[in-house]
Amino acid sequence: MSAIIARWLKIILIVVILLAIPWAITNQYVLHLLIMAGIFIILTSSWNLLMGYAGLINLGHAAFYGVGAYTSALLALKMGLSPWAGIFCGGLLAAFSGFLLGIPSLRLSGPYLAITTIGFAEILQMVATNWVSLTRGPLGLYGIPPFPAIKLAGFQIDFTSEHNVYYVVLLAVCLTLFCLRRITRSQFGLTLQALREDEIAAESVGANTNRYKLTVFTVSAFFAGVAGALFAHYQGLVSPDTLSLTETFNILTMTVVGGLGTLTGPVVGALVLTFLSEGLRYLQDLVKFDIRMAIYGFLLILTMLFMRNGIVGLFATIKRSILSRRQE
Amino acid sequence: MESLFLQQILNGIVIGSIYGVIAIGLTMIFGVMNICNFAHGDYAMVGAYVAVGLMVLLPTWFGWLGSLLAAAVVVGLLGIVTEKLIFRPLLDRWTDIDIIMASIGLFILLENLSQLFFQATPRMIPDPFHGATLNLGFASTSVLRLGCLIFSCVAFVLLELFLNRTKLGVAIKATSQNKRAAILMGIDINRIYALTFGVGTALAGIGGVFYGTLFAVYPTMGAMPTLKAFIVIILGGMGNVRGAIFGGFILGIAEALGGTYISTQYQNAVGFLIIIIVLLIRPRGLFGRSEAT
Repeated sequence: MSAIIARWLKIILIVVILLAIPWAITNQYVLHLLIMAGIFIILTSSWNLLMGYAGLINLGHAAFYGVGAYTSALLALKMGLSPWAGIFCGGLLAAFSGFLLGIPSLRLSGPYLAITTIGFAEILQMVATNWVSLTRGPLGLYGIPPFPAIKLAGFQIDFTSEHNVYYVVLLAVCLTLFCLRRITRSQFGLTLQALREDEIAAESVGANTNRYKLTVFTVSAFFAGVAGALFAHYQGLVSPDTLSLTETFNILTMTVVGGLGTLTGPVVGALVLTFLSEGLRYLQDLVKFDIRMAIYGFLLILTMLFMRNGIVGLFATIKRSILSRRQE
Repeated sequence: MESLFLQQILNGIVIGSIYGVIAIGLTMIFGVMNICNFAHGDYAMVGAYVAVGLMVLLPTWFGWLGSLLAAAVVVGLLGIVTEKLIFRPLLDRWTDIDIIMASIGLFILLENLSQLFFQATPRMIPDPFHGATLNLGFASTSVLRLGCLIFSCVAFVLLELFLNRTKLGVAIKATSQNKRAAILMGIDINRIYALTFGVGTALAGIGGVFYGTLFAVYPTMGAMPTLKAFIVIILGGMGNVRGAIFGGFILGIAEALGGTYISTQYQNAVGFLIIIIVLLIRPRGLFGRSEAT
């Protein structure tokens, strides 16, 4: 009983801290970083659902992110749709593109799937660059309206400052993580992991692998699309770079360094790398080099060589070794 | 109309031969070591920078040929070092996905390190033939492009001779066919790995010089050759050297024709469209072996 109370106290404490952050930290720049980290948490967590749980290597994740961002931005700019509805529309269209990309994944794996997904994202990026009448080409869309103010019990809450956008992103991150937690612990999530370990064995015990793969691609793309829409209305501009391979590699690096196949890994990875790379900005003034992205590559290689389960796995190992020593 | 068509075929053959040179390195490394190296195009980038450096000293055709050799040596050594430090420890330890991740890390690292060392501004490798053109009757081309084609073909022939006529080459082929049998025959497999990686990356370096001479040289130029090389080796069957040469020409010609008759803006999409369609029909590529064998 006391264990349950302790658990709930812990959760309440975390919620209070998360809610208090914008009041405690008045620095706009740090809040901006937290918002970006939040958007990346949605991206890394959804990518992790494909790679970490289902074992499907998707190197086109930025395409879903871009589809969500462009959809929501265009609906707001051309049709005056409220960004609140735009988030869902962006997510839905991204989910549809995820479904389309899921179709080739039914027969492909490993490098073949990796190249197909890259090709999908590259083609969409070319469309975003060249369909100038719709997307304004390489310049990108700008002047995207921010989230409109909502009236709540006589209070007017507007979303033009980082302070309030933080809560929107926080809510989105919490909902995403809650859904992913439910998914990964359900029958569906367990089947995905069985699929990752041995597809033929999973099929032979009756799992309809095709349906599972299509569903997981669609679900993962939905969340990435939501992240894209959040980004579009927060930043106010979207360019074809959103769909680039670099963006996918950022998502991949954060997830893998954090810890693949765990729920906390992508969260830790997105937070650590966002703040680490900003911390290095000060180092950059010293050495006159922009070493932030090089650090990403370096960390990714080190992770693969020495701590394959990422930061989360490293901490789990340390914790286990301390516990076993205590028992002796 | 007809001359435009033949002209584009010729352009496609030239570009295709360059894709081929870069791709055979990638396919050799995959065939022998089962490594999908997403950093492959960055070896080409390093090779192009070697040529930029050398052509400042010797801006003649002699310097250009020398830079082919220098790029092969420098990039080959870089390849051997990265193989030793990054890929060797990962081999046989994890799945092919882990090696892909590590190679993506290497891709990000090399791209950004070169941004530090060479700055982001694009550079040109000066044309050693000063823009001289040659009329072949049905089509015309620059001497430079013809040089790229000829030396690519020289590289193909030398590699074929090496793989089929020398003891080391046969050892490489044997290792790619059956690793265990190769070990039992007394082949030092680690030496073969280092050699394959060195030769494979050296070819990427040479291809990078061609690529950089025809286009521009900049730190992020490696991404395109990597993707093109993957398209080529999937077309030709992964691990198949002759298939990669063939696949390179197919891709080059398809892109040249697609760029002329469909849309220049979507020229780079042609390869991806082909590969998506091919993989939907044949999941192991046009000439790929099935997984069972």
